[in-house]
Amino acid sequence: MEGLFFNVDNGFLEGIVRGYKAGILTQSHYSSLTQCETLEDFKTQLSATDYGNFLANEPSPISTTTIADKATQILVDQFNFIRSNAVEPLSKFLDYITYGYMIDNIVLLITGTLHERDTHELMERCHPLGVFDTMPALCVATNVEELYHSVLVETPLAPYFRDCLSAADLDDLNIEIVRNTVYKAYLEDFYDYCASLGGPTADVMQSTLAFEADRRTINITINSFDTDLSKEQRAKLFPAIGRLFPDGNNQLAKADEIEQVRVACENVTEYRAFFDTSISAQGNGGASNDYGGESGVAAMLEDRFFRQEVYLNKLAFLQQFQHGVFYSYMKLKEQEIRNLTWIAECIAQDARDRIQDFIPIF
Amino acid sequence: MADDYPTMFHSEQMSLIQLYIPTEVAHDSTHELGELGNVQFKDLNPNVNPFQRSFVGEIRRTEDMARRIRFFTSQIEKEKDVIPVRPLYDSAPLVAVGPRAAQTIDELNVTLAEHETRLNQMNDSYKTLSERTRELVEARYVLRETAGFFEQAEGRHTEIRQSLDDSTAPLLQHDDRENQFSSSNVQFDLEFVAGTIDRARVPTFERVLWRVLRGNLYMNHIDIAEPFVDPSTGAETRKNVFIIFAHGDALLAKIRKISESMGATLYPIDSNADKRAESLREVTSRLEDLEVVLYNTGANRRSELLRIGENLSKWHDVVRKEKLIYETMNLFNYDARRKTLLAEGWCPTRDITTIQLALRHATEESGTSVVPILQELRTKKTPPTFNRTNKFTEGFQTIMDSYGIATYQEANPGLFAVVTFPFLFAVMFGDIGHGIIIAVAALYMILRERQWAKADLGEIVGQFFFGRYIILMMGIFSIYTGFMYNDIFSKALHLGHSGWDWPEGNVTGTITAVSNGHVYPFGLDPAWHEADNGLVFMNSYKMKMAVVLGVIHMTFALCMQVPNAIRFNRKTDIWTVFVPQMLFLQSIFGYLVICILYKWSIDWTKASTQPPSLLNMLISMVLSPGTIEPESQLYPGQGFVQVVLLLIAVVCVPWMLCTKPYLQWKELQKTHGQGYVGLGNDEDHAPLRASTDEHLEGEEEGNGRVIVEEADESEHHDFGEVVIHQVIHTIEFCLGCISHTASYLRLWALSLAHAQLSEVLWDMTMSKVEGLGGIIGIIAMIFVTVLWFVLTVAVLCIMEGLSAFLHAVRLHWVEANSKHYEGSGYVSAVPSFCLLAMYLC
Repeated sequence: MEGLFFNVDNGFLEGIVRGYKAGILTQSHYSSLTQCETLEDFKTQLSATDYGNFLANEPSPISTTTIADKATQILVDQFNFIRSNAVEPLSKFLDYITYGYMIDNIVLLITGTLHERDTHELMERCHPLGVFDTMPALCVATNVEELYHSVLVETPLAPYFRDCLSAADLDDLNIEIVRNTVYKAYLEDFYDYCASLGGPTADVMQSTLAFEADRRTINITINSFDTDLSKEQRAKLFPAIGRLFPDGNNQLAKADEIEQVRVACENVTEYRAFFDTSISAQGNGGASNDYGGESGVAAMLEDRFFRQEVYLNKLAFLQQFQHGVFYSYMKLKEQEIRNLTWIAECIAQDARDRIQDFIPIF
Repeated sequence: MADDYPTMFHSEQMSLIQLYIPTEVAHDSTHELGELGNVQFKDLNPNVNPFQRSFVGEIRRTEDMARRIRFFTSQIEKEKDVIPVRPLYDSAPLVAVGPRAAQTIDELNVTLAEHETRLNQMNDSYKTLSERTRELVEARYVLRETAGFFEQAEGRHTEIRQSLDDSTAPLLQHDDRENQFSSSNVQFDLEFVAGTIDRARVPTFERVLWRVLRGNLYMNHIDIAEPFVDPSTGAETRKNVFIIFAHGDALLAKIRKISESMGATLYPIDSNADKRAESLREVTSRLEDLEVVLYNTGANRRSELLRIGENLSKWHDVVRKEKLIYETMNLFNYDARRKTLLAEGWCPTRDITTIQLALRHATEESGTSVVPILQELRTKKTPPTFNRTNKFTEGFQTIMDSYGIATYQEANPGLFAVVTFPFLFAVMFGDIGHGIIIAVAALYMILRERQWAKADLGEIVGQFFFGRYIILMMGIFSIYTGFMYNDIFSKALHLGHSGWDWPEGNVTGTITAVSNGHVYPFGLDPAWHEADNGLVFMNSYKMKMAVVLGVIHMTFALCMQVPNAIRFNRKTDIWTVFVPQMLFLQSIFGYLVICILYKWSIDWTKASTQPPSLLNMLISMVLSPGTIEPESQLYPGQGFVQVVLLLIAVVCVPWMLCTKPYLQWKELQKTHGQGYVGLGNDEDHAPLRASTDEHLEGEEEGNGRVIVEEADESEHHDFGEVVIHQVIHTIEFCLGCISHTASYLRLWALSLAHAQLSEVLWDMTMSKVEGLGGIIGIIAMIFVTVLWFVLTVAVLCIMEGLSAFLHAVRLHWVEANSKHYEGSGYVSAVPSFCLLAMYLC
């Protein structure tokens, strides 16, 4: 049934987004991009893709940041086009996508203010999709409660912050906890919203968001080793969704080392693979440098997570009549921008041996 | 092949040529060829990445130059007072060929870079200066407006205090204090922050402040009337002056921080009125100084832009040409010693001499003695289709090309469309008045051709302009058919004596016109227009005419198979396809046309039988062959003739179905019998020679040449495929004959609709006011005439015209082209400066 009326409101935009998706760089594009000698070559090569002449008006020595900025700008323009053409419930869904960026921006701003950076410089570094009117006022706040009452109360993020109100002064750990609590609330809310949409949207988005939640859970666990974050606090940060919930989450809450994380993830087949090889890699690296080994594992995990994310987002395009494609397109495109930046960075710094370490999408 | 004389009937004969161009003259030769614009180069390094090709460096340099030119253009466009850009035809040409070419380009590059840095510097200083000016202007506003706030606040302040004091006085009885207070000057002890902020942000700003300070503030803001213009983007921003009163250093610090992060600019204002006045004076004087400087900078910048504008289009032209030249040269291949460039491409055979001349000219220009070598290659690859068009035939050719590009050297329907297209259109659009309107519109466009060709007309007008000659032809033909139908804005013309007289006097009821022996000289007798049975007559006449025209058009299209068969050396096709198809068509529908003409030629008032229905005749000819009802007999011996015709048609079906596959099968058997497999059985007349030549050339050229022919298209004839193809073709043709003939009835339907619509329009508008007299009558007349004319143009000429155009296109594409057109060619795309120049101006 949902297929019957889907196209009335969303057919045009789905067509647009699938068209955009066809412009995502493929393996052959990447292989010619990695052959580039200079960033000039890189620019020429990119102009043969869907990016077109987006760098044509940049004066000649271009920097990697310009490339990343311009590519992001294209993505933002595309998103804004879609957003302005969307109607309920898709528009609400698209708003949900921006909330993630808003959270990131808020955290960026308050961290920056804490370290006394210039507000304007911080504003420029914010993701354009997560910008909201009252954002600049964030810089005056010194604790979460003030933050909430002065600025956030009128943003859509207000409900997420309600759980972590405290009068305690902001410090780095605090901000990190706030970020994770808010993100947990956001993910759960988004998950519920997708569930309320029902149909294929719920199917697709729930699996994507479940993975996102699990990823956060595992990351929080690994990052909280050897910090003064108590285990109860840690458990509170875990999203109450995902495939590891609740058993895996409980195990992770008690974990003290990476081996226990691995055991907790044993139950999910897909996640088992993340650890299998990484453990062996760690074995090769030797036990002498324990901390380095662990961060190596974390880096490798991160890479695997990205690959899995790309895989899941690609799956979303196999399903018709659902909103998941919009979310997936944004995520894939972000990955693509990360890839481009990576390759450009490798070219600029002449680090040819690592140039292949991007994550191909198609 | 036989005729070397170029015609529009076939696409141009093409040759594959190979050019050996010494590197010294490569640039100039490519330039010459680009000016000529008739060689389509093939990409000889398809496997090389774009950034690994030979001339990437040069392209990059030209791109950088193009970027600078774009920058200048945008700067010039942004300038409020128009800066004249001297058009290309007016400026002295910049010679970018010859021995000094490289130097010229280098110089141009340096000039562009210089201009860019200078312009950037000026922009920067202009920007900083205007930024400063803006700040000062804002400061002035803040000073001026806050003065207002202060005065207001002062007044209110005393009021509030007094009222408070009054009420409290009896209770507290601090008379001395009150005295003290009233005696001392009213001094402000409130702290405040003043500044300007973007107007759109005021509400948010206010809200945030309210929330952060928990309401402990008094804010006032006022609009600044004039907008501020950002010098670099030209965007306008409107701002507000605000002043916030609050108490306590912490709060003030917070306010300052928030304002700054919200993009407000703060100005230090003193609460003392004298000091304010003083700083206002100071600001004003500084502003005056700055404005002088700013004006000078602006004038400098403008003169720089004027200088750029002088040469801009010239540079633009050169840079674009350079880019195109290097892009073309990237398609070429170096020989082993990297001394010569190797190019390959298609060109019209009869242009080879011109090309050779151009190459020689290029050599002379560049002052070297090495001449590029041109060599013609023999190939079995199908050349691209290249139809030479002029501005008149271009539109018609485009109509046919959008159906499908003609196969190389196929009979080109675009030639005949020049006449048939406007004619079929006019049959549907027959009206002298409407024809004149569209012909005049087209004439106007043609007269303004020169100016309009350069202007950007937008999509819709541009399309009409592109088809101006089609429209002109359609208009002229419509005038002609309008005379035939005797229709001018749904009225009749009386050019000669009508053949019919209406009885005199006032007669009520039906009156009958009497024939007076005259024959109306041209077209339809105007008497029919007033007659009750006029519509019946017109219907019958137009319907029959549609069928007649349709069968003629289809027959003509079918005949196009003959030149194709001869040209492609497929003589058997004439006997296996063309003849049976022609017989089939003629024995049924050709016969129908003859019957129509015969029936028209008989005076049925004097005949013994009623006029028979031709439709029923055709149906019964197929359903009950041989039997003719005596009362519906058209001519004696009709039964026999019809049986014979039907038999011919029936015989044609298996003829079409079987002979061609059979002949091909036999051919196949023969070649197999001789022991050849595959290679020799293609239709090329000199297959063996060509292939050996190809082979030899390949050996001669060695490694300088990437494979020209990837693989000859395999001519593997699958016999089953041939049979199926023929079956489909036969069925399609036989059914097509019927449906296509019926399809031509659209000529009648649209013509009828057009005539009726224009009559209705006349009746609803003009005829209502015809009899009115007096002032009201005149006003109504003018009003209605305008209305009628607008509707005539909008509905009848444009809307109906587009619909008739569409149907004429369909009749050409489907009904006519399906009879002969293969349309499997590919278009010839040449790198040409002419096209470039057209886009440029």
